[in-house]
Amino acid sequence: MDESELIKGIQQGDNKAFRLLVETYQRMVVNTCFGIVHSAADAEDLAQDVFLEIFRTAGNFRGDSKISTWLYRIATNRSLNFVRNKKRKGFFQSLEEAFTGGKNLTSEISESRSDRPDQNITDQQRSDLLHRAIDRLPEKQRIAFTLNKYEELPYQQIAEVMEISLASVESLIHRAKKNLQEQLLDCYKKKCV
Amino acid sequence: MKTKCIHKDLIFYLDNELSEEKRTAIEKHLEECADCQSFLAFLKKGMQVIEMEKNPEVSPFFYTRLSTRLEVKPEYQAQSQWVRLAQPAFFSLLLVLGIYGGLKMGSNASTTNANQQTTSSIQMLNDFEAEPIESFLLNEL
Repeated sequence: MDESELIKGIQQGDNKAFRLLVETYQRMVVNTCFGIVHSAADAEDLAQDVFLEIFRTAGNFRGDSKISTWLYRIATNRSLNFVRNKKRKGFFQSLEEAFTGGKNLTSEISESRSDRPDQNITDQQRSDLLHRAIDRLPEKQRIAFTLNKYEELPYQQIAEVMEISLASVESLIHRAKKNLQEQLLDCYKKKCV
Repeated sequence: MKTKCIHKDLIFYLDNELSEEKRTAIEKHLEECADCQSFLAFLKKGMQVIEMEKNPEVSPFFYTRLSTRLEVKPEYQAQSQWVRLAQPAFFSLLLVLGIYGGLKMGSNASTTNANQQTTSSIQMLNDFEAEPIESFLLNEL
């Protein structure tokens, strides 16, 4: 079944076609979301939302681009929205904690570490450090970098997903790497890991 | 002679994105500079995190969960859409009523104050007339 048949099937409410689409692309969507939200459980929930959106809006798909491009676009948008909401909630939570004297950063770190006993502290610290560095990147740099590093997409396909020129993608990824390196260098100098 | 550290190019060196000439220069520098070597190792380990964590395993029940949500979601969505419209309307109405009530109470307050003063003065006069303590005590005697 090729892409147009798959989409036609979904538009007609064919569950088999939808199942085939999910099974073909679920790993790709979960991985893309994971690159932005850094949590396997959240990434899976977001991937479910992506497929629900696909199922409901399949009628709007004109077939100008590949299904994967459409999926990447929805997955990155939803993941960024999720991160924005989380940040907003975190802000209010920290305000609440400041007033009520809630849990501090040290207890939070030790809690997050106890979730993954299979990894040693240094690995976990390194992973936290990289996630924090990626989270600090401007959104466009983050999307371009994630698609390139986590999904290994070529620059041309990233340009199609982000609807920007190839030169812009090159520039975004170059700046993203520079920014990441600066943050890691800063940490290296302070010996934070 | 020790050359200047080349920290800013190392991420591109790792990703093999430098020209042959620059790459050779960096490799030569790395042979002499322990600090750059150490940072390169740090950077390499940091970027390896992506290789280790990407492609997380997807739950085998992914589609089962999704199909359950597909059946449940429309009703919930319709409800949530109604709530999304009704909630701000309700709170706006509440706010307008609150402001109107506040203004109404505020404008009444000045007249009520004046009335209260008159009432209390009348009450005092009336009290005095109704129960003149001096005459009551004199009558007792």
